[in-house]
Amino acid sequence: MAQVTVEETQKFLPILRITLGWMFFSAFVRRTINVPAKLNPSSSAYVGGKLITFLPHAWGPIKPILVSVLQNPGMLYDFIIMFTALEAIFGLLMILGLLTRLSGLVLAGLAWGIGLAAGWLGSTCVDEWQIAAMEGAAAFMFVFTGSRWLSVDYFLAKKWKGIKIGKYYIPLW
Amino acid sequence: MNGKVTAIIAILAMLFATGVTFGLYEINFHGFTHLTNYSKTPAYSLAGTRLYSNGTLFLQISRTAGPDTYGGFIVLVQVLYPNGSVFYQWTGQQLGMLPPSDIKNEFPLHPSKPIKIGNYGVGILVPLGQNSTIILQIPHPVPPGTYIVRVWDADGQDSAYGMKFEITVEVTS
Repeated sequence: MAQVTVEETQKFLPILRITLGWMFFSAFVRRTINVPAKLNPSSSAYVGGKLITFLPHAWGPIKPILVSVLQNPGMLYDFIIMFTALEAIFGLLMILGLLTRLSGLVLAGLAWGIGLAAGWLGSTCVDEWQIAAMEGAAAFMFVFTGSRWLSVDYFLAKKWKGIKIGKYYIPLW
Repeated sequence: MNGKVTAIIAILAMLFATGVTFGLYEINFHGFTHLTNYSKTPAYSLAGTRLYSNGTLFLQISRTAGPDTYGGFIVLVQVLYPNGSVFYQWTGQQLGMLPPSDIKNEFPLHPSKPIKIGNYGVGILVPLGQNSTIILQIPHPVPPGTYIVRVWDADGQDSAYGMKFEITVEVTS
């Protein structure tokens, strides 16, 4: 078994990793366990309605996409389910430290994507922009650092170095 | 990977994440030009409003700013002569008693609707992002000419963020 060296910095990454993952995974928990009505299209709590509130100052290029999704309830439902599933899966993977680099990439995409639609909202402060920018940058960092301590990736890295393409190893963990 | 390549990748990643953060700040809050938070107070656009000589007003109203979870409430709709004097107006008492079928919403979720408490009409609720056509009837013909249609929010304002909640309409014979 190959020796895995863990740099000191790696040992402190879980401080951020678990909170970051929970930010996404807890969205799934809220919509399925705490308030299931959030995923019920005939409920006033349905999160699909949230997308309407994004519209007025959403970034120009994505506004027409939002409008067409909102005018098609079936498409809206599929979008909500898909987004919630991505948050659940990759939020959990980030917490576990399993495929941390890939999870970081997906979560950065989700955070920054939301930032382009809802980033202008924030009645207390510049709230949604802060969330999108911070979560996006944090998740993006994990694409490059991975997380090799208190993580499933730690054990995977012991067994496999990554995928070898030609003479390069693509590090998956 | 040697140290030089790693440093270049690290700097590029930093520049990218910082660019996204700054970009979202400018797109969403105009943070580097004229800082604006559209969540603070309600605003409305009346673009698309039409007034006909038979007295029918198609009030096209979209809520473009303000908190995403509450309001806004239209409590006065005015048709004005160009000099600002009132030609006809509907108070909250009348607006709140409108049949809901006189309000057509672009999006089925979060609809605009008349609000009443018993026989006391309050006004019309217009949720953030909703775009509604409110059909109102002046009980007499409208002479051809130019008119201003103006609405007032329950906070007593008829403008916000430097934009007035009004539009100039032409009535032709």
